[in-house]
Amino acid sequence: MISAKTVLLISLAYFALLFLVAYCAGKRRETKRSLLSNSYVYSFSLAIYCTSWTFYGSVGRAATNGLEFLPIYLGPTLIAFTWWFFLRKMVRISKQQNIVTIADFISSRYDRSALLGAIVTLFSIFGIMPYIALQLKAIAHSIDLLSTPLTAPELGFYALSNKLPPYIDTAFIVALVLALFGVLFGARHLDSSERHEGLVVAVAFESLVKLVAFIAVGIFVTYGLFDGFADIFQRFFEQFPERRELFRLGTEQTPYTKWFTLIILSMMAIMFLPRQFHIMITENADENHIKKAMWRFPAYMFLINLFVIPIALGGMILNGGDTSQADFFVLTLPLSAGHPWLALLVFIGGLSASAGMVMVSSVTISTMILNHLVMPCILRLKLNRQDFSGVLVNLKRFGIVGVVFLGYFYFRLIGDSYALVNMGLISFMAATQFAPSVIGGLYWKRANRKAATVGLSLGFLLWFYTLLIPSFVRSGWISADILQNGLFNIALLKPLELFGLKDFDIYTHSLFWSLLFNLAAYLSLSFFTQQTESEAQQANEFVDVFGEQVQPTQLKRISKAPTIMEFVELMSKFIGEKPAHAAITDFLSDHEVDARGSLPDHEIPQLKIFTERTLAGHVGAAPARIILENYLSTRGSEMENVFDIFGTVTISHAASREQLSVLYDASQIVSSGVKLQETLDNILELLAQQFKFDLCVIRFLEESNMTLVVKSQNGMTSDHFGQSERNLNMETYIGQAFLSNATTVVNDTDFLDKPASAQIIQREGITCFAHTPIVVDGESVGILSAFSRSVKGIFTSEFIALFENLAGQVGIAWRNDKQLYELLHAREQERELQIAKDIQMSLLPSEIPQLQQIAFAGLCVPAHHIGGDYYDFIPRDADSFDLVIADVSGHNLGSALIMAETRTFIHALLDSIETPAEMLHALNRFFYNNMSCSDLFVTMFYLQYHVNTRTLSYTSAGHNNPLLWRCRQKNLVLLDAEGLIFGIRQDVDFEQKATKLEPGDTLLLYTDGIIEAEDSSGEFFGIERLGKLIEECDHMPPQELIDRIMDQVRIFTGLRHFNDDITLVVMKVIE
Amino acid sequence: MKDPHGNSTKEAWILCLILGIIMINFPFIHIFSNEDLIFGLPTLVLYFFVGWPASILVIWFFARRNGAEDENSSVDTGRE
Repeated sequence: MISAKTVLLISLAYFALLFLVAYCAGKRRETKRSLLSNSYVYSFSLAIYCTSWTFYGSVGRAATNGLEFLPIYLGPTLIAFTWWFFLRKMVRISKQQNIVTIADFISSRYDRSALLGAIVTLFSIFGIMPYIALQLKAIAHSIDLLSTPLTAPELGFYALSNKLPPYIDTAFIVALVLALFGVLFGARHLDSSERHEGLVVAVAFESLVKLVAFIAVGIFVTYGLFDGFADIFQRFFEQFPERRELFRLGTEQTPYTKWFTLIILSMMAIMFLPRQFHIMITENADENHIKKAMWRFPAYMFLINLFVIPIALGGMILNGGDTSQADFFVLTLPLSAGHPWLALLVFIGGLSASAGMVMVSSVTISTMILNHLVMPCILRLKLNRQDFSGVLVNLKRFGIVGVVFLGYFYFRLIGDSYALVNMGLISFMAATQFAPSVIGGLYWKRANRKAATVGLSLGFLLWFYTLLIPSFVRSGWISADILQNGLFNIALLKPLELFGLKDFDIYTHSLFWSLLFNLAAYLSLSFFTQQTESEAQQANEFVDVFGEQVQPTQLKRISKAPTIMEFVELMSKFIGEKPAHAAITDFLSDHEVDARGSLPDHEIPQLKIFTERTLAGHVGAAPARIILENYLSTRGSEMENVFDIFGTVTISHAASREQLSVLYDASQIVSSGVKLQETLDNILELLAQQFKFDLCVIRFLEESNMTLVVKSQNGMTSDHFGQSERNLNMETYIGQAFLSNATTVVNDTDFLDKPASAQIIQREGITCFAHTPIVVDGESVGILSAFSRSVKGIFTSEFIALFENLAGQVGIAWRNDKQLYELLHAREQERELQIAKDIQMSLLPSEIPQLQQIAFAGLCVPAHHIGGDYYDFIPRDADSFDLVIADVSGHNLGSALIMAETRTFIHALLDSIETPAEMLHALNRFFYNNMSCSDLFVTMFYLQYHVNTRTLSYTSAGHNNPLLWRCRQKNLVLLDAEGLIFGIRQDVDFEQKATKLEPGDTLLLYTDGIIEAEDSSGEFFGIERLGKLIEECDHMPPQELIDRIMDQVRIFTGLRHFNDDITLVVMKVIE
Repeated sequence: MKDPHGNSTKEAWILCLILGIIMINFPFIHIFSNEDLIFGLPTLVLYFFVGWPASILVIWFFARRNGAEDENSSVDTGRE
């Protein structure tokens, strides 16, 4: 036997050794490479899964229930298959979001909900109590066994403890010591995001110790006390042939359902027990360690279980089949065989197994309590202190002690009534309830906060009712009445036969009901309720953590943003000044800071996120969010949306990466500046390829006949869909989309309400389609359509948003193209008109004929570039010439062409036609024959002058009568000759008149532009004013007279430019 | 960055998981749940204590192969 003092001393020495290991690890980290970068440390630390339950309990289980101890280790071996994507994903997310506990993880995923964090924390506290109780029980019992020989109890530990007050027993002292070590290892600083280097290394060391101890005792029993495996089995079967059942499954003892339940429970427990989360995820230093741990950890479990059966059988053989103390065969076998030092090694191994678990669990749960129960309260009370960090670390220490003692009280309450394994399974079941929220949260974006809250709460309730209540009953703490008659005497509510489900073991029963309610609530609420925007964003960050993160950083800004220093002050308040400054230095090292030491506007939201995540590492995600929000709102700062500069092309945050890339590609196509047709074709090709449409069509409105005409199409050729035009009416879906300026979607063509379309659509085998208007400046200009033959229901609301965005881009392309065309067109026309003007001007006489006794001047001012007026001097011989003035109605290109034609005609016929009347007659015929279809008309005045005889012969084709100033008589004469406008009738008689001019006479020919020039009141310049001008200026040379007239007309109208073409010709007979 | 082999390895892992679950559950293990002894050991005990290390070898093998592929990508997956 070993004296109690020795046991105590050895235990304390072992703890001191652990602390030394932890301390060295911490020191080593400061100087060299951290021990955590060693993948063996990570793999061994995972073995914290193997607690005293494994160490002592497995043997006990094997002795009583045979193979039933195995599933607890087979489950984790199986789930290790998924670690490379599943565990790694959790690690990646936790690192990104600074997540430190499972409560943080679930709360973060679901919109950083404080409520969820609190639920998970409460659940974990309740769930961990039996487990900690189990460890305390194991240690206390092993100490008692080791130091209290049944033969001489007065020498043992009891003797020592008898001197203490009665409420202090071995377990109490153990709890105290473990709590102390928990504080020392886990809460020397507040920072929980920083790794607990020492704690992890100590845990890994403990794992090594317990493995060595167990294998040592295994070899001792198998090969020392017996002669190998086969020998033990043989002797066992000889001695207890009736216990062959132990090595079969599907027996009454271990039905297959229970076997299955245990596998599921252990698979979930290894992932979601708070301490496993801490060691596997929070303390993970390198994702590549997971790859090693995937096989090392199962190998560890295999080795530590290899000798479980031999020890159990050996124990039974040596104890005559008694299994009441089977839990401690590991210890009693070497003791009774006279090897106390081996027993001591086993004891140290068991101590390791328990201590590691209790320390890590208490630290983890304490962190959770602090972050999810205490912090929200502190924040709600708005306690205003300069520095919280000191208070927080003390709270955390207090929490660790509290958690350990909760376990202790559970042990005092329930402890003796349950075997180790059964107490452990209660905790496993609690951890299993986290599975839907975590797994769903990792892979299903729709999963939302309400669903997780209700699912977890229901799971918790059912777990409590079907598992914890029976354990209370068993301990006699509450009456057994509820088990026999159900709650309120309702038989359906019996905790072990809930809703009448009988004949299952307690764990299968509990697993079924708790998981059923949990899952059902989780799935259905996720389906039927909506996420908020921030929730959806968080869901994306979790589910797509390995994808390229599309950060909508540009979309938000903070109004009245705090400065960097203010953020630092805020952080200092919670985490202390030094860590806050270290954190901000880290942040600023990869961000630009301007000369004044402040961040550009768009970086401030990132600083806010950084601050929040840094705080989250210390106080948890939900409290961090509350802190930031409170802080910003008391400052009056707000996160506000920044308006999207693209206007019509807005993108929802919910759009997937694929969709965003399509929109991006489309905008590239639009901005590439190729021709419209090519742009349209490219966009349709993109749409068709990305979403596997059978047909995509773009139609634009043809305004001339108000139909939609196909401009581009991609996909199947179909006469109807791809090519034909569409009239605008509400009978068709496309018409409806265009006229109502809204997207029309048919997700299932089995249900159509427009018979006109239905027939064709079904004939073509279309299963769903959508039309969306292409809108430019608020008006539809066309329709973008997509048709699918294969899939129904493609057009989700998200997809429609994308589809509409694409239509918007097509609209932009269309508008760009149109504007470009109009601009080019205008330039082209301008150039053409300039040419026309030049040509036309060259048709007018460029130089005035120099004749004796006659002076000329002429002016033609077109209203626009070109006009329809025309005048010409045409010398016939030395003493005669013709003079013509004509006015073609309008002043456009048509007028100019006719004017040119007229000139050509006159010049061509000059030789063959003698008199003005004949000329006009010929012209009239020409116009009548060739111009009858045009709406233009031409007036003309044609005269012939013989210098020698001073005879003026003239004819008029409906032209304004020229003015003749008779110098001698001082009177003004209108030269009037009868004649019709050209082209009205085929044969017109043009009257030819003649008059004799005297020297000093002035003849003024003009077009209607001059006399019809209006002033602001609408009065015409008129023939009288013109006549007066001639009268006043009869002494002036022709050019001066023309200039004078023009000045006067301009003064009259008050305009520099005229609305009509103006032509003036002056001919003066010189004396 | 997305690992180009990510999906196929993921599928392989899930396949192994499903196979594993089948192989240690009813009805598959019912085959071994008898009272025969092989090398003096009960069939089911032998099945588990041979099958278990075998599955660990499978993980070891896959993880090593996976490791060769991921060695390059680990540079950028390592930090965050």
